Amino acid sequence: MAHPRSFLAPLSRITAPSIASARPTLTQLAALPLHQTSIRCKTTKAPDAKKRKARKHYLQSDLKKADQFSLIDAMHYIRAFEVGRTPTSSKYEVHVRFRTLKNGPSVRNRLRLPHPVKTDLRICVIAPPGSKAAADARAAGASLVGEDEVFAQIKEGNIDFDRCICHMDSLQKMNKAALGRILGPKGLMPSTKTGTVVTNVGATVKSMVGASEYRERDAVVRLAVGQLGFTPEEMQTNIKAFMETLKKDIARLNGTPKEIHEVVLSSTNSPGFTLNGDFKGPDSVSARALSGPL
Amino acid sequence: MVNMLKRMRKLRELLWIRNGPGAIQLPKEVTKISVEFHKKLIGSQHRGARHFWHDILPRIKYRNPTLPISVIRHADPAGPAYLNIYTSTPTPQTSTTPPPSTTTAPEALNDTPTHTIEIKDLHESEILEALVEKTGAVVLRTPPEEAAEMAEIEEFKERAEVDRVEVREKLMKVRREEELLKLARGEISAQE
Repeated sequence: MAHPRSFLAPLSRITAPSIASARPTLTQLAALPLHQTSIRCKTTKAPDAKKRKARKHYLQSDLKKADQFSLIDAMHYIRAFEVGRTPTSSKYEVHVRFRTLKNGPSVRNRLRLPHPVKTDLRICVIAPPGSKAAADARAAGASLVGEDEVFAQIKEGNIDFDRCICHMDSLQKMNKAALGRILGPKGLMPSTKTGTVVTNVGATVKSMVGASEYRERDAVVRLAVGQLGFTPEEMQTNIKAFMETLKKDIARLNGTPKEIHEVVLSSTNSPGFTLNGDFKGPDSVSARALSGPL
Repeated sequence: MVNMLKRMRKLRELLWIRNGPGAIQLPKEVTKISVEFHKKLIGSQHRGARHFWHDILPRIKYRNPTLPISVIRHADPAGPAYLNIYTSTPTPQTSTTPPPSTTTAPEALNDTPTHTIEIKDLHESEILEALVEKTGAVVLRTPPEEAAEMAEIEEFKERAEVDRVEVREKLMKVRREEELLKLARGEISAQE
């Protein structure tokens, strides 16, 4: 397990009477003298004689000490933080933290949310021009279809798409074109591992339009789960759907120890709120109050 | 993911959105508030309006979650700065100032604002006062325990600032000494 030790000291420095449950606790902090004789600062300690063993897991914080919020409470705060922003540009985001190994396999998938967040996805399909696959892709809503002209465009640095799919027959040609340098860092390079090298291009494009992609980085999966105008019910179904697929993804990793540790809801301009899994707290406002226009 | 401590400290400071100027309960008649001002802050007369949006509107929105609040930021430095209040039952005494001439005026509600307050050159507290006066909103009092906690956070920040200065002094001293030692050893020339 992780070591919560290093978190103890700072947490006690600012003892946390939560505002989620506004407890009237007067702490001893106020009694401390302002000027202390010693300076409290990080000191550079001499390195231990024996080198400590490297951690294999990501550090986890103790959620018992954290303020946790119900979905409605979090949305109440977030909507206040987003006041006056354009509802189309601000999004709700969910960050899911795992208890996992540092070197283990990571979760990576895409899903179609019950209420899609983004619908204007631009997709590039690499398929032989004039083939049936290319026609299918066009019909399904891909914005860029082709082979050599697409490669040339990408090499020029003209990348105006958000997803890239490759047909099985064009795979070799694409690998020869050496696009990995350009597309790789952007996460756009098609590969069988990510499920973007396919034979049935039309169906993939169709499932991709309105779907969102996520991947685990440093034990955290982040995903935009809602537009700012969503009602609490819509958000609930979206978050639930996301968690379900995540659980399935974890199950697919064949027994690698991985558990969901924390779920945080935030938005473009708000701090992150740790969710406690409830829809409604005892003092929350009604869901209808948060359903109206911003 | 942002460090847990950072997040928690930030959340603890969420108290600011619950209390302070702007924690007002607007009457039910108010259906919408809209603010219009210039985008940029530098050298403009729209400073108060912008601060009103940043500091006070979140509090109003938190206390009145059903109330739609819109903020329009135009790009014309000489343009208008208005606070429009829409009510369901228009009061007979309407304001003398004309509604904003630009087409960006809120068209969602097809009626004209009941009150229009010119907020150019006004401090955000003055804007809030005008809003409270026009609508007859109830100013919510800070509960004593939350006030105490806010004071505590304030104190914590003050102490942090003192600490920061002390640490910096200590660090600079160490660095100076190192520099002098290097000079004495002749590793770097004095002209540099």
